[in-house]
Amino acid sequence: MQAVVSLKKYIKPYLAFAIIAPLMMVLEVAMDLVQPTIMQHIIDNGIAKEDTSYVIQMFGLMILSAVIGLMGGAGCSIYASKTAINFAADIRQDLYETITYFSNSNKDHFTLGKLITNITSDVEMLQRALTMLLKIFVRGPFTFIGAIIIVFFTARELFPILLVVVPILALSIFFFTKLSGNLFLKVQEAVDAVNTKVQENLAGIRVIKAYNRKDHQIEQFTTVNATLMKRNIQADQIIGILMPLTAFVVNMGIIAALWMGAIKIESSTIDVGVILAFINYLMMIMGGLMSSSNVLMQIARAVPSAKRIVSVLEEKSEITNIENPLKITIKGEVEFEDVSFAYNKNNEPVLKNISFRAEPGETIGIIGMTGSGKSSIVKLIPRMFQADQGSIKIDGRPIEDYDLQTLRAAIGFTPQKATLFSRTIEENVKYGNDEANLPQLIEALESSCALEFVEQLENREQHMITQGATNLSGGQKQRLAMARAFIRKPAILILDDTTSAVDSISEKRIQRAIEENFKESTKFIVSSKISSIRHADRILVLDDGVIVGQGTHEELLGDSKHYQEIVSTQLVRGGTLNE
Amino acid sequence: MNKTQGRPSGPPPIGRHPGPRFNGPAEKAKNQKATLKRIWSYLKNQRIGIISSILFVIISTILSLLGPLLIGIIIDDYILKFNIDGAIRMVLLLAGTYIISALFIWLQIFMMIRVSQKTIRELRQHLFEKFQSLPIAVYDKRQQGDLMSRMTNDIENLNAALSQSIIQIVSTVLSVVGTGIAMFYLNWVLAVVTLLVIPIIIWSTKQIIKRSSKNFSQRQRDLGSLNGFIEETISNSHITALFGKEKQAVSQFKEANERLRASALKADITSGFLGPINNFINNLGIGLVIGVGALLAIGNFGVSVGVIASFVTYTRQFFRPINQLSNLFNTFQSAIAGAERVFEILDEQGEAADVPDAVAKNRYNGDVEFRNVNFCYQPNKPVLRNVTFRAKAGDTIAFVGPTGSGKTSIIQLLNRFYDATSGEILIDGHNIKRYAMDNLRNHIGVVLQDTYLFSGTVRENIRYGKLSATDEEVEHAAKTAYAHNFIKYLPEGYETILVSGGMNLSQGQRQLIAIARAILEDPDILILDEATSSVDTMTEVHIQKGLTNLMQGRTSFVIAHRLKTIENADQILVIKDGSILEQGDHDGLMKQNGLYASLQHQLQMG
Repeated sequence: MQAVVSLKKYIKPYLAFAIIAPLMMVLEVAMDLVQPTIMQHIIDNGIAKEDTSYVIQMFGLMILSAVIGLMGGAGCSIYASKTAINFAADIRQDLYETITYFSNSNKDHFTLGKLITNITSDVEMLQRALTMLLKIFVRGPFTFIGAIIIVFFTARELFPILLVVVPILALSIFFFTKLSGNLFLKVQEAVDAVNTKVQENLAGIRVIKAYNRKDHQIEQFTTVNATLMKRNIQADQIIGILMPLTAFVVNMGIIAALWMGAIKIESSTIDVGVILAFINYLMMIMGGLMSSSNVLMQIARAVPSAKRIVSVLEEKSEITNIENPLKITIKGEVEFEDVSFAYNKNNEPVLKNISFRAEPGETIGIIGMTGSGKSSIVKLIPRMFQADQGSIKIDGRPIEDYDLQTLRAAIGFTPQKATLFSRTIEENVKYGNDEANLPQLIEALESSCALEFVEQLENREQHMITQGATNLSGGQKQRLAMARAFIRKPAILILDDTTSAVDSISEKRIQRAIEENFKESTKFIVSSKISSIRHADRILVLDDGVIVGQGTHEELLGDSKHYQEIVSTQLVRGGTLNE
Repeated sequence: MNKTQGRPSGPPPIGRHPGPRFNGPAEKAKNQKATLKRIWSYLKNQRIGIISSILFVIISTILSLLGPLLIGIIIDDYILKFNIDGAIRMVLLLAGTYIISALFIWLQIFMMIRVSQKTIRELRQHLFEKFQSLPIAVYDKRQQGDLMSRMTNDIENLNAALSQSIIQIVSTVLSVVGTGIAMFYLNWVLAVVTLLVIPIIIWSTKQIIKRSSKNFSQRQRDLGSLNGFIEETISNSHITALFGKEKQAVSQFKEANERLRASALKADITSGFLGPINNFINNLGIGLVIGVGALLAIGNFGVSVGVIASFVTYTRQFFRPINQLSNLFNTFQSAIAGAERVFEILDEQGEAADVPDAVAKNRYNGDVEFRNVNFCYQPNKPVLRNVTFRAKAGDTIAFVGPTGSGKTSIIQLLNRFYDATSGEILIDGHNIKRYAMDNLRNHIGVVLQDTYLFSGTVRENIRYGKLSATDEEVEHAAKTAYAHNFIKYLPEGYETILVSGGMNLSQGQRQLIAIARAILEDPDILILDEATSSVDTMTEVHIQKGLTNLMQGRTSFVIAHRLKTIENADQILVIKDGSILEQGDHDGLMKQNGLYASLQHQLQMG
């Protein structure tokens, strides 16, 4: 509940709407409630006394109340929508902004998939719950309570019936709601099993066909399919009892009313109009009770969504600017002093006591097995993560002193996974530098060996990339991602294993281009292939988070056991000839 | 991110909202009549169930129509005449009809749920079996999400319609007609007054739906583009951060978000009128009945208090289904459209059938020959041109060439994922179409670059190569594939559960399992696609050793990337633009001094 309370500031701008909406709904319900009473008066005072003008008066009152009710209902609907949609749009905006400024460890903490669900379906869920809360949640209980009160005052003789009928109704609705929750949990499990099977069969169809396992798959599916059917039938049939049951209970209330009414009318303690009004109120009570329980369920389901949203909004970004950060030009001297770092603070660090220095213009190669921590080193430079111990200095000043924008503007980083946006090739590459002109664009594409395939494409650099860049091969994606970093002309260029899917010949050409075009820049090249880093001015050999060797290719061949081992296994493997 | 998760079929709403809700315009089927006919052909198997539940609906509807009539009679003839004993007798009769009616409503629900669930299961089963027999071409043409949503959303829509809409439509029609008759029987003037309200309901509902449909499609479009933007930018948010584009992203988001805010407001407000307006019309109708009824009663036009009572109850019964009719039609329409999409898949051509008296062999020697093979995915866009080569039993053939040159197409023809457009492919001297497809595939093993693993244990995944394999055989295969080394260090060893796609293993480990699987299958012909992405050096060595063991003594076709593999091949085919450019072993090709040699030279020089 605390989560819900902390979202109240998003209601504040629309507080007036949020108050008007339920008030309007109260108006509509009041008008609904008044109707059977007017009817009672028409019958008992109008017809019985044959008073035509009284009937006409009362009829006018009925129509008037219907019109007022319409205004109330429509007003409630308008203001409830206004509140809920504005509320949701504001939260969505704040969520997006918060997530955009999250550091990598913030994102790892939540996982990207959950953040996306959070901003899409959780917000949607909250919006729906709020609309319901403002519309129906007022309507249900108010109708229910209002009808009971009116019966108490106008049909006291029949009130005992309610004392029996209402608890039975409430109990059966409560019982079935609970039951349906459990039953549909089981149905959902079966649905998930079917969906997983289907999804796997679609994704793995080539394997299935190649191994000729059609019958095996069908056999498995038949089982989950039958389970789903059985659980669905079971759940639906049990839940199906509720509707006829409640109708039956209400009808029994009507029977009781007629019975008691018949007896009491003889002793003339009751009028016939009262019985009729009572029957109408009884129906309203049932309706009110059912819709309240329904809304309660909806709202209960929105609470976890609200909690998730609040936990994202309240997450503090771990990496922020200090006060008065440095905004000076960066030359590119990088120094690590005794740096240690762990992704999960409870686990062993992935980097232990890393120290090295890189001068502007130097190329630093970083090599090691998967999981040795080579990517983690370069991720610390643009402050994608915060080191736990030691310091990282650029041009002699700790990186924390620099303005984040200034720091990152000086770095051209190509991450391991080449991610592109669903925009044109030009827009994707210029993402690295908005001000770049066409010759600069072409130069960047050429340096990354991307020009040769871009020229073959329809519309060349205006070619649209699909979402997830499914219309490009792995090597093509990597080349464009490198071009995006090159076009920045950065003081520090970082390539994190970016040529794994590029053929060996193109890789050599890219290496030469980097040598020529980035003479002044400090270059970090992370790779698991010797061929990618052998030309570096200095190679760092990493093993289990520790630098176990440092020097040129030749030096390391002489004195590093680890390096020799890597070289010898890669000789077996050889180069790669095509993508 | 998989965007097409099935719609969760959570608990159905208990009780109804006041007034209908509008959930956006329904999609229309292209050919409603034919689709309906086909749905019926599925329902026919449940004929008894359907007929009995319709019978139950008729009975329960008639009984529920009887209720208000009896109430009127009880008031007029017994209560108002102080005939208390008679009143009690009649009340008991009324109670009887209520009990029977509740019973029949439940029976009808009971039957109809069985009917719809059984039908849906059958349809789901058919669709799944169809999925299994569709040729690979269909999978290449259609998106996986699209096929998935036919199995989940479309079938779910049909389920909703079958289990509820049919019965509701029957009961609506019956109760509207029945109420109409009862009203006219009671008092025709009052009946006409009540019926006057119907056109107002229909007209106003139509007006609102017309307006909201437009607004709703706009909202859906805005929501779709916003969600697309969210998914892409958040998945790639590290790029946004690295390039310092946070402000730009937030302001682009704001634009899309404001568009959605505006269109969502419009859509919600218009559709929100539906409830209050219907409520108003109901109240207006009841007001008219009571007012006019009272005047008629005073004027002695044959209207009594009991008649008014009956009318009030009837009016409530009468309007409710009409209010919901538009919603019902929507559900029904989208169900038919969904069914049509399901049938569309069921009508796809399955894989080519075997020729009569197709050959099934216990063992293939593995002599493979391509004779003038041409192939295209789309007419006039040839992918392979005049491919001719021969592989002797036991040979290793390496395919070399740039992306898109047609290497993958050649191996797809070999296990008949596709059939050649012209030319012949022979195995052991016979055209591959002469063999039973199942038999052929049973003897061709495939290890793809990124192999798909199924959810289940590691053991089950290896056993996929030979379902009858014992645990010892599985482990032996894993050892031969050099997969045992990493499997034994998994938390549960061979019983470690893999998630769908095997994503909790590294790519190299997945490939080792695929190799073990192929070893267990013990195929006569082997198709391999070497991985390009970097795996760590130890795994790399293992994969190499595993592959060597696997290829021993089988005709192997390798889409090769590693120089070592290529150099060791008995025959290298250099492919460019769908044609074989050069052909021979490593030494021969180097002597030819063509494309292969120049590629090698460039590589060596550095």
